Amino acid sequence: MATSKLQALWNHPAGPKTIHFWAPTFKWGISIANIVDFAKPPEKLSYPQQIAVTATGVIWSRYSTVITPKNWNLFSVNVAMAGTGIYQLSRKIQHDYFAEKQAVVAKE
Amino acid sequence: MASLRSFFNSPVGPKTTHFWGPIANWGVVIAGLMDMKKPHDMISGNMTGVMCIYSVLFMRFAWMVQPRNYLLLSCDASNEAVQLIQLSRWAKGNGYLGQKKDEAAPQ
Repeated sequence: MATSKLQALWNHPAGPKTIHFWAPTFKWGISIANIVDFAKPPEKLSYPQQIAVTATGVIWSRYSTVITPKNWNLFSVNVAMAGTGIYQLSRKIQHDYFAEKQAVVAKE
Repeated sequence: MASLRSFFNSPVGPKTTHFWGPIANWGVVIAGLMDMKKPHDMISGNMTGVMCIYSVLFMRFAWMVQPRNYLLLSCDASNEAVQLIQLSRWAKGNGYLGQKKDEAAPQ
């Protein structure tokens, strides 16, 4: 039973023999790279890049449900991308707009 | 006008996500172009390296997906170029590309 299910996955139109599998699987690298960059100081983060990552993640989550073949791997990776992008943006915004007051007070 | 209208109504036109998905990805390309003027220590080696491999994979994906997506293909080809340039700037700035002058590289 397990073998036939595995076989079904192996032969799936979005399975590991196709680019429909490997492209989204590699896309996890973007989210992982972003998670590694959670440790970076916010001054080193790029607004344009993080906005692009977030917007792309949100729009592609929708895209992956309307292409042929429908691609849940791609869907999940884009949800994750949007999540990491939003987190990075919130870190940078918090640093740029809400932490300044404390820094100014500390200098005085 | 007629060709514009037929594009507008096409299965990969602006009424569909097959259009807006790739448009969103152009944002990554534009972000990369905007970041070209920034100092190299603002570049994330992780993200840029990943983007280089990712763009090649998605060029293939754009070709094979139904419907075939030339907008996505062109976007990822451009992103590949931009990210490779950024990667070389990062590598150079971090001393990975050999220096021509006889300078002692920081170890």
